[in-house]
Amino acid sequence: MASRLYQWIDQRLKLKPLEQTLLNEPIPGGASWNYIFGSATLFLFGLQALTGMFLMVYYVPATDHAYDTVQYIQHEVWGGWFVRGLHHWGASAVMMAIGLHMLQVFFDGAYKRPRELMWFVGIILLAIMLGFGFTGYLLPWDQNAYWATQVGINMVGSVPLIGDFLVKILRGGETLGALTISRFFAIHVAFLPAAIMFGIMLHLFILRRVGPAGPHDEAKAKAGSETFYPRQVFMDAVVMLVVFGIVSLLAFSVEFPLADRADPSDHSFIPVPEWYFLFFYQLLKYAPGAWGPLATWLLPTLFFTGLLLLPFLDRNPERQPSSRRVVLGAGLGFLIIVFGLLSISLRDLYAVPKRDPSVVRGIALVEQFHCKTCHRIHGEGVNVAPDLSFVADRRPDRDWHLQHFKDPQSVSPGSFMPKFPLNDKQLNDLTNYILTLKSE
Amino acid sequence: MEDGLSTPVGTRRSFFVKTTVFISSLIGISLAVPLIGYIITPAFQRRKKEWMSLGKADALPVGEPKAMDYTMTEKDGWQETQTTKGVWAVKQSNGEVTVFSPICPHLGCGYRWDQQDRLFKCPCHGSIYDLEGTVKAGPAPRPLDTLPSKIENGELLVQYEEFKSGLAKKVEL
Repeated sequence: MASRLYQWIDQRLKLKPLEQTLLNEPIPGGASWNYIFGSATLFLFGLQALTGMFLMVYYVPATDHAYDTVQYIQHEVWGGWFVRGLHHWGASAVMMAIGLHMLQVFFDGAYKRPRELMWFVGIILLAIMLGFGFTGYLLPWDQNAYWATQVGINMVGSVPLIGDFLVKILRGGETLGALTISRFFAIHVAFLPAAIMFGIMLHLFILRRVGPAGPHDEAKAKAGSETFYPRQVFMDAVVMLVVFGIVSLLAFSVEFPLADRADPSDHSFIPVPEWYFLFFYQLLKYAPGAWGPLATWLLPTLFFTGLLLLPFLDRNPERQPSSRRVVLGAGLGFLIIVFGLLSISLRDLYAVPKRDPSVVRGIALVEQFHCKTCHRIHGEGVNVAPDLSFVADRRPDRDWHLQHFKDPQSVSPGSFMPKFPLNDKQLNDLTNYILTLKSE
Repeated sequence: MEDGLSTPVGTRRSFFVKTTVFISSLIGISLAVPLIGYIITPAFQRRKKEWMSLGKADALPVGEPKAMDYTMTEKDGWQETQTTKGVWAVKQSNGEVTVFSPICPHLGCGYRWDQQDRLFKCPCHGSIYDLEGTVKAGPAPRPLDTLPSKIENGELLVQYEEFKSGLAKKVEL
């Protein structure tokens, strides 16, 4: 049935030659699991595009709706949590795929003549992908999104002379707000996709003009070649399934939570960037004083210039790793620095002690006795009674709280807080939690 | 092809081809199911039915239709909006109250009460109904739609519903 339909169409559109051109591309040295990184990246990009389109169905890029629409997607739309999860984890996966793809190209010396242009376009694609990451991070309009973007924009502001101007263009004015979210959205869903589609086509066009690099081992390359279809396509498909499996599993089992709604007045929030920006985040901690602003713009500029120029800096035509010790050594050094910084940063982030179980029980008591129908804690609840967000700053005294919960009027006359029936263990848990409510 | 490596042939080739097709279908289906569900969710969401109060039932004059309205919270996607809904209430001689949907069952216009002729008249296509909602003239395919209503503690309560227009039978939307 399918083949007869194909025949019918082929007789009219003459697809056979096209099919041959597309699929029978010779791969020097044969199909290999080494070459799957590019297709894995392309597959993940496609997944991002698809899930992104679906997210747009319910998302509204406005300061007064964005957070609610993301909540709506996450909690009310059938499968919404999964689509959002795929898009979130897919974003991380595509960054990893790009990293591995670049490593393979770098290790095999595939960026060398005649593939300099392909490398060049590839670096631009990397920049565009980072742009996707940066603009997409703001869209949920939660605390993390707001403050992390604030930091990112301020880094752009450190560019000499035109920094302030760039910031205003990026932000759409003086403050991070309505104009920022709508322009980040437009960049994320229209400008960057258009640019990246063009870039990907160019990248693949160049690939087809110059042909795949093949193995760096001359003997292997000379052993002959094999068509792209069916074995390389099969390998690519297997990898896509594995990648899709991992991303779906993560989307399925690890919910990416939303932080509180963006609150420009809450300066206590400490934003954390996505992991692929973490090494840079960590690096900035070591840039003292006047070096800070310099590091925020000069290092990224040097990094991208270095990458772009790599094929022109490394003019050794040899592709064998054994005869490229200096370049590979430099690459390894760079990786050690990046992963070193990433690990330090991750260690610091996760070194935050786990919550005391007693405190967790205290939090549950706050919910159970509906404390937030009168008190406000970190933006949640009603402001009828005192805000408890940082109550331990004002009242660090443990006995006061214990006494207060037993009989509010005895320590704070005139209080309309009722006596709650708490046993000693509950009193202790609740007090433990209340005493954690302090600004650091 | 050159010597050495070459394109796989025979069963080896068909294994690669079949597996590739199988894998792409697997990925395609695993994506299609959640994505289609995601996109069609709104088609399955039902209006929340709540009893809304129209006020005291005693205040209604017998045999005299009265336009009444109430404000309800409607969930429109992620937004909750306050909307005012109007209905026609008629107290029958036996004390029971009939509540009519304000929408003409013909094609969805709003009809009025003609005090002189003592008939409900739709200005769009000329459907005419009497106090019981029976069609007296015009193209209307069915009587006026009644809404579920009840009286509790003297209060007239109603549930908002909408019905498909143009059908001979009352079908809820």
